[in-house]
Amino acid sequence: MTLRPPYLTARRLAATTAVLAALLMLSIAGAMLVGPVAASLRRALVDPESADRVILFRTRLPRVLLGAVVGGSLGTSGAALQALLANPLACPHLLGISGGAAVGGVLALIAGAEAITAVAPLAAFAGALVAIGVVYLAARAGGRSTPYALLLVGVVFNVLASAAIMLLNVIASYAQAHGVLFWLMGSLSGQSWGLIAAAGAYALAGLAWLAAHAQDLNLLAAGEEGAAELGVDVERARRAVFVAASLLVGAAVSVSGMISFVGLIVPHLIRLVLGADHRLLLPASFLGGAAFLVWADALARTALAPAELPVGVVTALLGGPFFLFLLRRELGRGAS
Amino acid sequence: MRRPTFLVALPLLAACSGRPPPPATTPPARVVSLAPSITEIVYALGAGDRLVGVCAQCDYPAAAARLPRVGGYLVPSVEAVVAARPDVVLVVPSPGNRDAVRAVEQAGVRVVVVQDRTLADLWASMRAVGAALGLADAGERLVADVQRRLEAVRGRVAGLPPRRVLLVVGHTPLVVAGRGTLQDELVSAAGGVNVAADIGGVWPQISLELVVARAPEVIVDAAMGTEEGRHDLFGGLATVPAVRDGRVVAFAGEAIFRAGPRVPDAARALAAAIHPEAFGAG
Repeated sequence: MTLRPPYLTARRLAATTAVLAALLMLSIAGAMLVGPVAASLRRALVDPESADRVILFRTRLPRVLLGAVVGGSLGTSGAALQALLANPLACPHLLGISGGAAVGGVLALIAGAEAITAVAPLAAFAGALVAIGVVYLAARAGGRSTPYALLLVGVVFNVLASAAIMLLNVIASYAQAHGVLFWLMGSLSGQSWGLIAAAGAYALAGLAWLAAHAQDLNLLAAGEEGAAELGVDVERARRAVFVAASLLVGAAVSVSGMISFVGLIVPHLIRLVLGADHRLLLPASFLGGAAFLVWADALARTALAPAELPVGVVTALLGGPFFLFLLRRELGRGAS
Repeated sequence: MRRPTFLVALPLLAACSGRPPPPATTPPARVVSLAPSITEIVYALGAGDRLVGVCAQCDYPAAAARLPRVGGYLVPSVEAVVAARPDVVLVVPSPGNRDAVRAVEQAGVRVVVVQDRTLADLWASMRAVGAALGLADAGERLVADVQRRLEAVRGRVAGLPPRRVLLVVGHTPLVVAGRGTLQDELVSAAGGVNVAADIGGVWPQISLELVVARAPEVIVDAAMGTEEGRHDLFGGLATVPAVRDGRVVAFAGEAIFRAGPRVPDAARALAAAIHPEAFGAG
C-alpha cells in the first residue's frame, strides 16, 4: 500500500468528505423513491392522510437510514481492519465478531424473543462483546497480539460459532429454525426508530474513535517496525482499533444480521479512487459504505417485486466476484 | 363445497408419494414417528401406545413428550431410529433427513413417507398412516371427522363477506404465508382472502410498504410473541384498515404450522380473528 500523490491536505480532506456526504444525501433521497410500490412524494407531502406518506416516511425512510448506518459501520470497520491486520482480504466478518453476534442473536430467538423486540439485537451485541474478548485474549501472547494470531483465532472462532448455530438449529422447533434462517440472511426492515437512532449515534462515535487513530493506521499499514520507530505505541493502537472496529461490526450485525462483503468491497474501491491515507479512507469508507448499502437494499426491494430479496444476497452477489478479482490480482502480484 | 377438489387431488398425491410400502403381514407393534404432525396423527388414531420413538420436536399431545427421542425433525439419528427396533418408521421428507431415512430403509426397516404441506396432504397422510398401522378404517374415520369439523368452521363464516387477510410468520425480515401453504388454505376456510397469495413463492419475504399497498383488513401475526414492550411493527401504518380498525391479531404460531388433526382448531381460531362478530366477540 503506497501513499498516492497528491498529498492529502486539510482542504482536500474537507472537500472530498463534503462531496461524498452530498452523494450519500442524494442516495438516501433517491433510494427513498425506489420500491415495489409506486408512491408519490408530492402527495406524501401534501396529504398527511395519504398512503403515500405512510409508505415513504413510515416504511422506507427508517429502512434507508438503517442501511446507511449499517453500511457506514461495516465500511469503516473493514477499512480499519484491513490496515490493522495488514491484509487486503480482511473483512469485518473475518474476526469472529459477527459469528459471536449471530450466536447471541440466535440464542435469543430460540429462547423465545422474536426478532422484532430489542432483545435479539441486545443479545447479539452481547455475543459480539464476548467474541471480542475471547478473540483478543486468545490471540495475545507475551503482552502482544499479532495480526497473524488475531486472524487465526478469529477464523477458528467463526467456525465454532457456525457450529453452535447449527447445533441450536437442530434443537430448535421447526418454526424457530425458519426464523433463525431468515434472521441470519440479514435484513434492514422492521427496526424501531429508537434502535436506528442508537445504532446511528454508535456508528458515528466509532467512526470518530477510529479516525483519531488514522495516522497510527497509516504507519501500521506501512509496517510494524517502522511504526514503532516513529513513535507509535503499536500494541495500544492495535488494541484501540481492534476494539473500536469490532464494536462497530457487533452493533451492525445486531440490528441487521449478516450482511456480507460491504466491509470488503467499499474500502478497496475508495482506496483505488482516493488513495490509502486513512485520514480520508475512514470517513470516505463510512460514507461510501452507507451509499452502497442504501442502493443494494433498494435493489433488494425491487428486483423481484412484489417479493423482496434478502439484502445480504444482493451484497454477496455483487461482492463475491469482486472478492475473486482482488484475490486474483493479489496472486498475480505474488507471482511476478 | 371443497370436497370435490380433495377427491381429485388424492389420486394425484398417491401417485406422487413413491412406491407403496410392502404389505405387512401383522399390524406393526413398534412405531417411530419423525415429524410432529405424524405423531399427532398416530395419537388421534388411538395408536399412541405403539410409539417407541419420536422426533425432538414432537411435543403434542403431552404424552408424546415422555417418549424416547430419536433425533431432530430436520436431522434424525439413524442409529437411534434403528436401535428403537421399529416395525415401521413414519416420516415427512425434508432435504435434511433424506440420507438418514435412506440409511434406515437400507437397515431393513419399513419406511412410510407422507407429505404435510397442504390440506390434501393431510387427508392423504392420515389415510396412509392409518393403513401403515393396520388401522385403515380408523384413518378414514379420522379424515371424515377432521373434515367435518373444518366444514363446521367454514359454515360459521359462509354467509359473511370475505375479509382481506395478511398472515405474518416473521418480522425481520417480514415473511408472510403465500399460495400453496396450509396457512393459505386455512385463511380461506376461515372466511379470509390471502392478500399475499399472488406474490410468488410459498413463504415470500415482502417490504413493509407492500402491506400499505395491499391494505389488509386483518393482520394475523404469528410472529408477534406475547412479551411486554414489543415494538409494534405495524403501528405506524395508519392507512391500513387492519391497523386503523384494531384488527392486528397476535396468534400463537405453532399449531397452524402443523398439518395434523388440530387443523380445525387452527381454522376456528383464525375465523375468530378474522370475523370476531360471528364468534360473539364483536
